Amino acid sequence: MHLDRIVSRVILLARLPGNKRRCEVEKELRSHLDDLAEEARSQGYDDEAAARIVRMRFGEPEEVAAGFASVYAPERLAKRILQSAILVAASTMAAVVVIGTVQSIAAICTATSIVSTLRDIHLELFGFAAIAAGYCSLYAGERLFPTSPVRALLPSVTVGLWLAAVFGWLIPQHAALPLTAFTCAASGRLLQRVPIPFVWFVGTALPLLVAWALFGRLISGWQFPWLVWLGLTISCKALREIVRLFERLFIEDFA
Amino acid sequence: MQFDRELLKGSIALLILKLLSERDMYGYEIIQESVRRSQDAFEFKEGTLYPALHQLHKRGYLRSEWRTGENGKQRKYYSLTAAGRKAARRSEQEWFSFTKVVNAILSKASS
Repeated sequence: MHLDRIVSRVILLARLPGNKRRCEVEKELRSHLDDLAEEARSQGYDDEAAARIVRMRFGEPEEVAAGFASVYAPERLAKRILQSAILVAASTMAAVVVIGTVQSIAAICTATSIVSTLRDIHLELFGFAAIAAGYCSLYAGERLFPTSPVRALLPSVTVGLWLAAVFGWLIPQHAALPLTAFTCAASGRLLQRVPIPFVWFVGTALPLLVAWALFGRLISGWQFPWLVWLGLTISCKALREIVRLFERLFIEDFA
Repeated sequence: MQFDRELLKGSIALLILKLLSERDMYGYEIIQESVRRSQDAFEFKEGTLYPALHQLHKRGYLRSEWRTGENGKQRKYYSLTAAGRKAARRSEQEWFSFTKVVNAILSKASS
């Protein structure tokens, strides 16, 4: 194996947090391998034999990478938690902006006071957080279990059950609203992966229809159910863009 | 001589701390010095030294800096911090106490 390949394999598998640290470890290991190769050549070995000796003395890249991964595991975890918190916060903000805008436009178009549309804002806030939680938990599942679609649902199911318990305790009369929003966002994300255009619209519509059939009106603005759907659907689209941006910014740390 | 991997793992931090308590060194130099002092008896996969160095660095026992050698080659030198010096002394004492106890048990068992 060429020296560069040994170093790149270590760097790839070690999952070191931060680009600067990756570069530094790369430089350090490269310097060590150069010294080893130089020593072997000074003893009369040709390049091929020297490379074999280097490989033998350095050890398996997998073993070295596992050592680094274990050293930096707590730092990596802390960074991942912080990045996830940023993603959830940005997603919640996006849901607030999108649904707030849709509600305001609807209020203007129907000549209704905007203040009156914000009557249930305290309940809606739970809904905004639930949208972010539904979307991000499914995304987390996709990242954690990229090869198993069924296991990818696990974080969403877990978060959903926890939220059901929390909302059932905090707002027992209105828990259906944020839980429906959670399910809409999660199923919207799920169907966004289906390579058929606009099929994910069904993902946000279906849980709403089920909730409507089971519980009737969930919120005062329910007289325009299609507006609720529109707000949720645009939110899912916005969250998709946020997730893409997040991946562009942090993908190396999540690799 | 090939030593048990776990035994090496447990003593590598002590060796690093002890060698660095004498002078600043870079990774390759630490290996060379260990091999020289053990008269070639001490062999281990050299790549595994670096995670150990980084672990000690993270614990605050080591500081590091890049220096350029006479041949123009850059190397990352490690040196002990005050906490590292304390840890080196403590680890050494621990090691001597531990080997004393183990030796006592082994010599009793063989007599």
